[in-house]
Amino acid sequence: MTFAIRKLAYSTFAAAALFVLPATADPAGTFRFAEQAKLITMDPHNHSGGGFSYLRPVYESLFDRNPDGDIVPVLADSYQVDGRTVTITLKPGITFSDGTDLTADLAARNLNRVIELGVNAGVKLAEKAEATGPDQITLTLKSPDPSIIDALSGTAGMMVSAAALDDPALDRNPVGTGPYVYSPEESREGELRVYTPAPGYRDPEAQGLARIEISEIPDNTARLNALKTGQVDLAIFLSSPQAAIVDRTPGLKLLRQPGGTTYHLSVLDREGTQVPAFADPRVRMAMNYAIDREAFSKAVEFGLSTPATQPYAEGLWAYDPALEGRYAYDLDKAKALMQEAGYAEGFEFTMPSIPIFASRLEAVAGFLKEINVTMNIQTVEPGTLARRSRTTDFPATNLVWNNAIDPKFVTTYYVAEDAVFNPFRIKPDPKLTELSEAGLAIADEAGRAPIYREMLGRLAEESYMIFITTTPILFGASDAVATNETVQFRPGTDTPYFAGIRLGN
Amino acid sequence: MKLSHVRPSTLAVVIPSVAVLATLLICALFAEWLAPYDPLQQNLMDMLQGPSAEHWLGTDDLGRDVLSRMIHGSRIAVIAAAEATGLAVLIGVPVGLFIGYRGGWWDWVTMRLVEAIVSIPGIMVAIVIIAILGTGLHRAMFALGILYSTAFLRLARSVVLTEREEVYVRSARVIGASPSRILVRHIFLNIAPPLIVQVTLTVGAVLLAEAGLSFIGIGVQPPQASWGTMLNTAAAYMELNAFLAVPPGLAIVATVLSVNLLGDVLRDSIGRGIRLPEATPVHVPASAPARSRSSEPMTPRADDALLVDGLTVTVSPKGGQPVPVVTDMSFRIGRGETLGLVGESGSGKTVTGLALMGLIGAGGRIAGGRVLLDGTDLLSLPASGLEAARGSDIAMVFQDPTTSLNPAFTVGSQIAEVLRVKQGLSRRAARDRTVELIDRVGIPRPAERADAYPHELSGGMAQRIAIARALSCGPKLLIADEPTTALDVTVQQEILDLFRDLQDDFGMAMLFVTHDLAVAADICDRIAVMYCGEIVETASVDRLFSHPRHPYTSGLLSAMPHGASGTPPLPVIPGTVPPPGSWPPGCRFASRCAHADAACAAPVPLTTAEVPGQQVRCVHAAALTLEAAQ
Amino acid sequence: MLRLIGQRLLAMVPLLLIVSVLTFSFTALLPSDPVDLIIGDRGSEEQYQMIRERLGLNEPFVTRYVTWLGQAVQGDLGTSFFNSVRVTDAVMLRMPATLSLTFASVLISVVVGLGAGVAAALRPRSWIDRLATVGATIGQAVPNFWFGLILASVFAVSLRWFPATGYVRLAEDPAGWLRSITLPALALGLSTSAAIARQVRSAMVGVLQQDYIRAARAQGLPARRVIFRHALKNALVPVVTVLSFQITVLLGGALIVEQVFAINGIGSLAVAAVRQQDIPMIQGIVLVLVLVVMAVQLATDVLYGLINPKARPA
Ligand code: SF4
Repeated sequence: MTFAIRKLAYSTFAAAALFVLPATADPAGTFRFAEQAKLITMDPHNHSGGGFSYLRPVYESLFDRNPDGDIVPVLADSYQVDGRTVTITLKPGITFSDGTDLTADLAARNLNRVIELGVNAGVKLAEKAEATGPDQITLTLKSPDPSIIDALSGTAGMMVSAAALDDPALDRNPVGTGPYVYSPEESREGELRVYTPAPGYRDPEAQGLARIEISEIPDNTARLNALKTGQVDLAIFLSSPQAAIVDRTPGLKLLRQPGGTTYHLSVLDREGTQVPAFADPRVRMAMNYAIDREAFSKAVEFGLSTPATQPYAEGLWAYDPALEGRYAYDLDKAKALMQEAGYAEGFEFTMPSIPIFASRLEAVAGFLKEINVTMNIQTVEPGTLARRSRTTDFPATNLVWNNAIDPKFVTTYYVAEDAVFNPFRIKPDPKLTELSEAGLAIADEAGRAPIYREMLGRLAEESYMIFITTTPILFGASDAVATNETVQFRPGTDTPYFAGIRLGN
Repeated sequence: MKLSHVRPSTLAVVIPSVAVLATLLICALFAEWLAPYDPLQQNLMDMLQGPSAEHWLGTDDLGRDVLSRMIHGSRIAVIAAAEATGLAVLIGVPVGLFIGYRGGWWDWVTMRLVEAIVSIPGIMVAIVIIAILGTGLHRAMFALGILYSTAFLRLARSVVLTEREEVYVRSARVIGASPSRILVRHIFLNIAPPLIVQVTLTVGAVLLAEAGLSFIGIGVQPPQASWGTMLNTAAAYMELNAFLAVPPGLAIVATVLSVNLLGDVLRDSIGRGIRLPEATPVHVPASAPARSRSSEPMTPRADDALLVDGLTVTVSPKGGQPVPVVTDMSFRIGRGETLGLVGESGSGKTVTGLALMGLIGAGGRIAGGRVLLDGTDLLSLPASGLEAARGSDIAMVFQDPTTSLNPAFTVGSQIAEVLRVKQGLSRRAARDRTVELIDRVGIPRPAERADAYPHELSGGMAQRIAIARALSCGPKLLIADEPTTALDVTVQQEILDLFRDLQDDFGMAMLFVTHDLAVAADICDRIAVMYCGEIVETASVDRLFSHPRHPYTSGLLSAMPHGASGTPPLPVIPGTVPPPGSWPPGCRFASRCAHADAACAAPVPLTTAEVPGQQVRCVHAAALTLEAAQ
Repeated sequence: MLRLIGQRLLAMVPLLLIVSVLTFSFTALLPSDPVDLIIGDRGSEEQYQMIRERLGLNEPFVTRYVTWLGQAVQGDLGTSFFNSVRVTDAVMLRMPATLSLTFASVLISVVVGLGAGVAAALRPRSWIDRLATVGATIGQAVPNFWFGLILASVFAVSLRWFPATGYVRLAEDPAGWLRSITLPALALGLSTSAAIARQVRSAMVGVLQQDYIRAARAQGLPARRVIFRHALKNALVPVVTVLSFQITVLLGGALIVEQVFAINGIGSLAVAAVRQQDIPMIQGIVLVLVLVVMAVQLATDVLYGLINPKARPA
């Protein structure tokens, strides 16, 4: 199967994002953004979980998504997918902020590092990359992957300079090709990251700011206060009482961004190694039925989210209307299932939590208690939940599913034997594997949709992924930022584009 | 501690504290029955509600009933306190006993470890231990148990060390008794009281620490309801429902407060058992003889330096009626004259001295009389006037020089301060005059000594300093309150000589308060003998010694050591001085007087005896034959 | 005085050594393998060994300790297991907030404690004495973080006099710094204020009964002068002792109160390190905290010598 060479418009996403640009403006003003995730690493290839924003000013990927959700090339010029071979032509003349050039060799080295590290699930199917020309790299896949380009528009496609790759302290000394450079001197560990315009960046128009400050404020109330007092202009919020307060505070706006995330539980130990009850699908279904999602959305998420029984929200191509209401709240049914499974007396397990999930999990624990399941909650450090979920430390976990990513990741994240969040290495139902493979073999969404719907339907029966609610991505913004048209958000990601932002007037 | 002996104020503390703790315990034991709802029963539609008829304390973020969570939280509090304290005792006491008994290397190493742990903030120690053990109620309490075991360890060790000393000394005398067996018995007898006190302290500390650890998310884990985790939730919803923070907070405060208060009471009562019993408070009979019959009023004379007329001082004990301690006190001191005020302790002589200065402490009051210093009535002066007179016109030297000089300042600065405040001297001039004064009271190298602190001087030297300070402003009257009593016998004479010498020099009048007739005889011109707050006899030294007219004076004279032979005084007066408030209505000496009869039952005035200048307070003064000094 | 300082400094060395051994061996007891935590389940055996090697975990315990100690003496507390952040830098970055908070609360405790204690002692059994005693007793039972929550809800959320969260660095904005630590310091200082008030009251009542106070009054010195110069200086002696003991309590309390006000201090660093089992970080934090405690105790010793001449070496 061969795809036509796609020659994409030569444009930076910044140009795409902007409507009006002041003719010639020097970088001016400080843009203050508040992250809820702690910065764990600034090494994009080791990055997982939240805190994408910390990387965005410094690094650019081979591709990116524009505000409309389309994939656009950034460091790449064009690409061609031919079965298991992906050929990417690099844009010429790209330089890193340390003055070195982005060569095909270096790009291949970057990609191979991502593959070797194995942190990024998006490249699970990639085998190796090699430079096949002065401006050309070829990525070989283990099997066809229709979303490989999507993967390369995230952290997996971010290019790190050669010197920085050799730096053991890459996690705090990022060097990329982006419009801004990280200033370790002005930054304060655990508090504040400062970025300044990169000298000699190829598109000065994208460097509208004299300074970017990203504050690390995991505490909801503190982040809200920072926004209220003008210490930050824009802040990420998850559905929380504080987000609800933003919504009704004069001078502030709560921006609901498309995409969003679906909060879900995932039973990891589904063969019952640690928690035998989890081996029984009826138990998992009972848990699914026991959750009153309507009440959950209203109360725990302050009406900021909608009930979900599948990863995708209505309007997205992988969404399956048939699954709507699959696990409508039904306590009697849940109890009956528990009875059937022989767990009427219930059982106990431990769930990892981070502070922002605390009230959600307490609510879940409250629901599960109704069917005699005791869920103990153990708090782990914010930013480490994803990492801990890849270990066998916990028999189950809770995560958010990003609506913007390809449904094939359901397999690579949760289903496949070597899936990221399958630490117990449980072999999936062969039918699921089959469907995943079929989904990868087709390129167009119309063709893939029925396949994934079937897969999601089967998954719903296995009921080890318990979806609860879908929340749009929420940003609290000052009125000035809310009305500033240069502030644009990357669809499905909790980060604005820093390139192209201008302040003033 | 018998309940009947407990003061009402203590009961006011104990009853509510016990009530709070009993409630806590009942809640903990019967949470399932008492709580109106299941503590984890959520109702998301009714979240964050204020108090209502259905939910007395409102609902939390998940619509759970706060009251029910509070009640179940009390169980966690009890478990937490019991586990951590129990563990602390179980680890601390045996280890403490062992190292205390074993001593040597074991003791040294363990104590250094304990010191190290104690130097780390407690919460940090708990955090580190939790890092090893993991979070959760029992593990966190294990951490706190280890942390607080250091206190029990030290306690047990110190009990062993103290008892060991005692027992070995004693067992050396009791042949055949095994010292270690005695030791074991003694330790178990002695460790209990401090252990109980330490347990209450620890329980309070554990409750606070548990709440703190749970609050920061590494103690009890949600959804389990502990007061600390409830506060953690409350913190997140502060802006939406601040009331959430109130119930758990108040519960913690009430519980810790109760435990602490009970601990205080226990410590007080146990402590009292060990210490000497305090003097029982004076029970004042309703009809206390407020005053004796007044003697004839004194008329001022031109050569009076001081004239005291009808001075009465009362003292109000805690919550009681005022009790007279000095009554009908009248005497005069001529210029340059020294009057000795002699009496047993408790006779009111020191109070008299302080009353003249207007310095009787809290609860004391001058109920009447005049104190004319050079014709001015000090008692009618306003406080500021009296303050101005003190130091300048009337000064005092106290009994114990080591306590009457402030330990925190150099002796020179204490004299100079008086000069600067009272006489407005400059720093320089005050310093010069200070050195002069120190020189004048016979201290060698005065400039150097001025910079010494009181504890660096001998008693005699310190008393010289105190005298120099008293005389610094050239007072007209110097009150010396037992100024030699606290000193070595050899130094006493030197100080007395100094007084005499200084009096010649400065020409002040002197009131010399002493219990020692011999000392009074040495330095005084006249002597006034006090008994039970009143003067019983006044006369010149010679007259008093040769012809005492009061049975009490006579008794004192007989009790004196005989000359230089050093024979100890003989207690020839039977009985003891009745305390103020228990004075007999008539002659106050009647209960001890060999000559008492019915005539002595009425108040006795001070009357002039056959010789002018001699006054006696005895109905039989003229008739009695009394023993004089030998 | 210099000799006193010298003696104290010398005495600290063995204590510090013991603390370092203690923290080092304590953290060696951590249940999970740090390497597993770092690489998660994706690591190969090769990677695992590589990281073990890099962290020096293959060395025997004593060698590791000696190496660590040697670097620690030079101010290098190692590097976090989870990123390339140097422990010394991280601790130093967070320390100012925690120290600001601790010392501001020391100041508040001393002022409030002295004021209440002296006022109570001057009129025993008066209403002011009762108020102070009751206040102090309650103050010692109130969890500092709860008091902080209450303060924040009243003075920050409702009245908006102070910020509810955050810490402003002194160098950046002194006025903002003061505003940002006022509420936390008040919350933290409550129980120490209470402890000091109780101590001052009983010390002051004792001192006021002393002969030298009576003697000073007998010299006609004004009452105010006698109380505030003669009595207070002596009553301060036990206060300094209390303070030197309370400093560990305050530092520990600061770790929790910081969380109420979302102050990025040692507290959040420590909690994060514990959650991640970041051994070098935990070791570094404990060691630095002990150093701070010792420095403060040295300072209080010096202060003790200044106000209590008997404590000075001859
Ligand atoms: S009045 Fe009576 S009782 Fe009193 S001293 Fe004289 S003789 Fe004794």
